[in-house]
Amino acid sequence: MSLDAPNLLRMLHSTRFAEGLPHIELTSLARAARVVEVGSGTVLFREGQVEDAVFVVFSGHVRLSMKVPGRGEVTLLTAGPGDLVGWSGLISDGVMTATATVMDSARLIALSGRALQQLCESDPKLGYVLMKRMAQVISRRLLSTRLQLLDLFADAAELEAKAKQGAVR
Amino acid sequence: MTGDGGVSCTTPPADPWRQHAARIRRVIQELPGVATYELVPESGVGSNAGSGLWPFRAGQFNMLYLPGIGESAISISGNPDQIDVIPHTVRQAGNVTNSLAKLREGDVLGLRGPFGSSWPIERCAGHDVVLVAGGIGLAPLRPAIYHLLANRVGYGELTLIVGSREPRLLLYPGEYDSWRAAGLNVITTVDRADDGWKGSVGVVTAVLDRLWIRDPVRTLVFTCGPEVMMWYVMRTAASRGVPADALYLSLERNMNCAVAFCGHCQFGPYFLCREGPVLSFERVRHLLRVENL
Amino acid sequence: MRDEQTTYWLPRAALDRLIRMLAQDGYEVVGPTIDQSAIVYGSIESVADLPVGWTDRQAPGEYRLEERGDDRMFGFVVGPHSWKKYLFPADELVASAGRAGDSWQFTTPDFVPRKYAFLGVRACELAAIGVQDRVFLGGPYVDPLYRARRDAVLLIAVNCTQAAATCFCTSMNTGPRCERGFDLALTELDEGFTVECGSDRGKDILGRLTADGVPTVADMDQLQAAESARAQAVTQITRRMDTDGLRELLLGNLESPRWDSIAERCLSCTNCTMVCPTCFCSTVTEVEELTQVDRRRHWDSCFNIDFSRVNGNPSRNSIAGRYRQWLTHKLATWHDQFGTSGCVGCGRCITWCPPGIDLTEEVAELRTISRLRNSADHVSESEDSLEGIQ
Repeated sequence: MSLDAPNLLRMLHSTRFAEGLPHIELTSLARAARVVEVGSGTVLFREGQVEDAVFVVFSGHVRLSMKVPGRGEVTLLTAGPGDLVGWSGLISDGVMTATATVMDSARLIALSGRALQQLCESDPKLGYVLMKRMAQVISRRLLSTRLQLLDLFADAAELEAKAKQGAVR
Repeated sequence: MTGDGGVSCTTPPADPWRQHAARIRRVIQELPGVATYELVPESGVGSNAGSGLWPFRAGQFNMLYLPGIGESAISISGNPDQIDVIPHTVRQAGNVTNSLAKLREGDVLGLRGPFGSSWPIERCAGHDVVLVAGGIGLAPLRPAIYHLLANRVGYGELTLIVGSREPRLLLYPGEYDSWRAAGLNVITTVDRADDGWKGSVGVVTAVLDRLWIRDPVRTLVFTCGPEVMMWYVMRTAASRGVPADALYLSLERNMNCAVAFCGHCQFGPYFLCREGPVLSFERVRHLLRVENL
Repeated sequence: MRDEQTTYWLPRAALDRLIRMLAQDGYEVVGPTIDQSAIVYGSIESVADLPVGWTDRQAPGEYRLEERGDDRMFGFVVGPHSWKKYLFPADELVASAGRAGDSWQFTTPDFVPRKYAFLGVRACELAAIGVQDRVFLGGPYVDPLYRARRDAVLLIAVNCTQAAATCFCTSMNTGPRCERGFDLALTELDEGFTVECGSDRGKDILGRLTADGVPTVADMDQLQAAESARAQAVTQITRRMDTDGLRELLLGNLESPRWDSIAERCLSCTNCTMVCPTCFCSTVTEVEELTQVDRRRHWDSCFNIDFSRVNGNPSRNSIAGRYRQWLTHKLATWHDQFGTSGCVGCGRCITWCPPGIDLTEEVAELRTISRLRNSADHVSESEDSLEGIQ
């Protein structure tokens, strides 16, 4: 879907990802962006494959999963409006560490990882602003992951296991 | 009747040690190890002046008593506008609750209460409210939901984020649709999905982090669940601009007397049976960071 | 309130008559008496039961009795008992449940409290009774058991004429002078007692001890002698607790290394909480009798590892944490809860602590350390943003 520049900029500006970013840097980012509309079930990228695009979810939801032998595709996380998925294209070598599947029809802002890298190289200020924001995003994702890892609702599961053994009631 | 506007409808009893008899009307097995006991206070001498009614505010708890076993503090999980049958939702976690699980409809036990502070519903008028519940934490929030929905026009956006370990362990799932129909935006999320799950996967803080908040300074957040979860819910809400005195959590410690005499439930300067269990983040933020407090 | 106008005089021999008169009035007179090499509180039937001619020598972790070489009846300070053993008994019935068909009959005790006359209450103890009054009577919930006992008790105070090495009531503004809260307050001299009346009941009792119903007024010599005797108590106090900004000091240093240093010595034995006249922690448990189940309340202690639990696990899982809870409650959060300090400066916790931990010293050390360190407990305003999360 093609959008004129001001509309794309406005869309990007409205996302939580872009909250507080300086206007000049945001405009530069918008130049490397385009909008994609995808239907439910579409695979944005696959674990293990190289993917250039980094996606900011504008509307809709995206499921991230990893393949575990013997368990199949295991869903890790749901990303929603304002979330970033596929940052490997910008941060590392572009090899995706999860598979992203659209859950309900989604509108995404796709940014080219390579283009962003080149922008950052030539514009250190933009590079700093973008990397700082990426660090915050990843930090928030890490906290969420840790909270999942802590298994804070474990008591309920333990009770269920005990119930199955007939120890309860 | 429900104490809205800050007016207390529950005056302290003359004899704080007195038990009132209550009969189990119905037991609902909500989840493995989690049940709701609907109790009917018996009318007669000593039971709220014989009325058989039990006024309470959302967020309060009762002490349920099994003679010979002991008492346990249990969240009142019903509608504050219906005070003749009082639902209590409890997870089996000790002697008393394990023995409670063996009781049946018609059995009688002792009741003292209601005790504790309540969700500040009177502050919600004209505001947006976000309720964040983890696991059984939805139990003490359910009375607030009932009250807010019964007076829907008085409030702005109402959102409930409810999380659990797995889809099968969500509490009161049968009510979510009726709550949605009554004007509550219900978002469910789980730590780990099963094959059939089409909903959100991830912790409640992630959902809260991306929730559209119309005006942070006209928003209140109430949360109940594991302490770690509540801490990060509060932090996330604060980072979204919701003032610390508009964030409320429900803390838990062991209760014994429930009337601030025995000292068991103290947390910093607060007796959680009296100043708590519902406290604002502003009052407890510094205390939650201290290990072994 | 002390009657500023008149101080009375009671000859030595009259004290025994007072004790017998109170017994005839239906009071159980309890006061200091020697048992197992300590001065404790027990039944007093005559002055012979008092520790006549004995005094106490106290130090951190040490207590012993010594003969005085005179006949003083109150020539000591405080021992391991406090009056809370009567007003807030270590074990008592709070409720009962009896089977009634398929239901239960719930009752609370309809008891008539024993009428006690406390003989020999010190100023710090009057203050301690006042502190527990606030706990059990001052809040939205009132304990009817404490209320009944408290209303029935007669308080005969004794002004200290000496101090132990562990006393620090002057730092806590609770003594050594008895100012209020008593029915009668005695100051012992060789020949007898000066007496101040703090209530109509006290004045009436005093009057009944004289032949014509009119209490004898103390003369100038007696007044001056009593003043000197009381001054001796003040000058003998050597221990001090600096209470300046104490609440903020403790709450601002919850992560001080001093707590760990205390924990290396503290045995978590609960002695301090047992002897402390203001500690009120308790637990109600079930006691099954033949035809009913009783709920009995007994003293407990925040030093017990199981006292505070979250999700079924101990929430204060270290001795450092539990000692910190006790001290910060006693000296800091007690102010938030009850509007006063929880400590009356009686020194019992210092005497009866096996390793001799002295809270006045610990407070001083916390203060010193706090001055040397930046407190890590003050949360800055900018903390409230996700950027801070690692």
